[in-house]
Amino acid sequence: MTDATITGAHVAPRSVPRLRLAAAEPWLYLAPALLVVAVWTYVPLLQAFELSFYQWNMLPRSTPRFVGLDNYRNLLSLPDMRQAVVNTVLYTVGLLPLSVGIPLAVALLTGGLSGRLRNLYRALIFVPMIVAPIVAAILWRWLLNEDHGLVNAWLAGLGLGKIGFLSDPDVALWTLVWITGWKLIGFSTLLFAAADSAISPSYVEAARMDGASPWQIVRDIRLPLMSPTILLITMMTILFGAQWSFVYINALTGGGPLRSTTNVYHVMWEYGFKTMAAGWSTAAGMLVFVVFGLIAIGCLALMKRFAVYDE
Amino acid sequence: MTNKARAGRIAAHGVMIALSFLAIFPVYWMIQTSFRAENEIFSGGWFPTAPTLKNYADVLAAMPMLRILGNTAVMAGATTLAQVATGLLAAWALVRWRFPGGALARSLIALSWLVPFQVVMIPNYVLASKLGLLDTVAGLVIPNAAAAFSVLVLYNAMRGFPREVVEAARMDGAGDFRILAEVVLPNLRAPLASVSILCFISAWNEYFWPLLLIRRMENSVVQIGLQFFMTQEGNDWGPLMAAATLASLPILALYLVLQRQVVDSFMKSGIR
Repeated sequence: MTDATITGAHVAPRSVPRLRLAAAEPWLYLAPALLVVAVWTYVPLLQAFELSFYQWNMLPRSTPRFVGLDNYRNLLSLPDMRQAVVNTVLYTVGLLPLSVGIPLAVALLTGGLSGRLRNLYRALIFVPMIVAPIVAAILWRWLLNEDHGLVNAWLAGLGLGKIGFLSDPDVALWTLVWITGWKLIGFSTLLFAAADSAISPSYVEAARMDGASPWQIVRDIRLPLMSPTILLITMMTILFGAQWSFVYINALTGGGPLRSTTNVYHVMWEYGFKTMAAGWSTAAGMLVFVVFGLIAIGCLALMKRFAVYDE
Repeated sequence: MTNKARAGRIAAHGVMIALSFLAIFPVYWMIQTSFRAENEIFSGGWFPTAPTLKNYADVLAAMPMLRILGNTAVMAGATTLAQVATGLLAAWALVRWRFPGGALARSLIALSWLVPFQVVMIPNYVLASKLGLLDTVAGLVIPNAAAAFSVLVLYNAMRGFPREVVEAARMDGAGDFRILAEVVLPNLRAPLASVSILCFISAWNEYFWPLLLIRRMENSVVQIGLQFFMTQEGNDWGPLMAAATLASLPILALYLVLQRQVVDSFMKSGIR
């Protein structure tokens, strides 16, 4: 359609070699990008699949030994993996209020704000998004320090006891969820606010004329028209939430205390580069890839079905 | 009614002020701690009473911070250039020609971000070590030399480009590459800026791949340098905050200058 007119194929090729060259031309332009994704993503994906049937300690001299489905069988029977899967679910579920719930509420509540102050708020709440994850890890480690941290000092001021934010097995995972979410709250608020302000004011005006209450306008007009954004951010959180928290697990707790903060991505990292069990790590990787792939397909189907679009 | 509206506005400001405080205070606390003298680190108060640069001097003595910042700038700059170049070429091919396999190529590129890095890290690591890329800046750049995001954003931008202009340039006898470089490119300023900004910031903040590749402090990039520093100086809060501040400074400065463009480019990329 539009592309067809830009296409210059109507110039008749004079000879066969020239035709071949013309057919090759788009591929020359595509080659660099395709080469990079092939060499560093797709071929490694196939290699990882192959490696998941072998036992190998990754030393250059040693040769991988074929073990069939043993890696998968061992993984599924290990308590390690079960704990990691449960924690992955906890990370994802814990992140949703921070990436969707609170930002959505804030965007709905503050939709009417305008002017210079609004721009200042926007500029400030976005900042955590560009703070490097490891910097976020370091500054929260300081704020939440058990003995000298500001947050525990405030808690003491309120007459409450100290909390071992990173050392208490019941708390540590939620601390990491909070740090992961802290980076997202403001950004996600901006995305919801953008979706909200894209709604045509005439709908809201018409509903108000008909005597709709603010809550009815939210429920019947603003929320449905924001649904594509809501579903998109929910899907992103489900698909990537556990990956986003990897940095904090690795930098702050190493999966502890008592393995309470590990998740599937951290387990893959430990198998691969701590215990040097390439087979286990890639087998876990394949399981994770398939499960998240199915979730992605499911999410896309749900989005198609439930998202409401303005004509 | 007006009273109710005013109460609503005040509530909205209250919520935004609380959220802004939550976003900015931790960063402020990091910066102010970095200026505190050793005996003042654990005392309360909103400002250091006698600001000092000693923590910064300690960082520069303990680790080659300037060199590390230089490495990171080279890595992020090269990654950005590469992603823009590969993105421009690939997007141009997909917009300019219709050819068998074109749609497949596009989906292969677009779907590559669905593969979690942890799944392919071992084959990637093996390949990088075979190619002698361990502990090098080139090793950090090459696997990230193309990205789905830059191809797709530039693809969408080019699709909106008026075809009459391209047609006119062709009539004048310009080749396809010249049309891209001299006709299309100068009109892509906004999408190019947004791709470059996003790419530079993500490359600067990249953690996982450098964690696998980098062995020595002098070859490291800031994120890994900080990690080394944190492991060594664990609870030396003053210098640790100074190092974290130095590592964030270039990105925060960029944000101060290009605030609107930075926010826009992140919004365009979606949440990732």
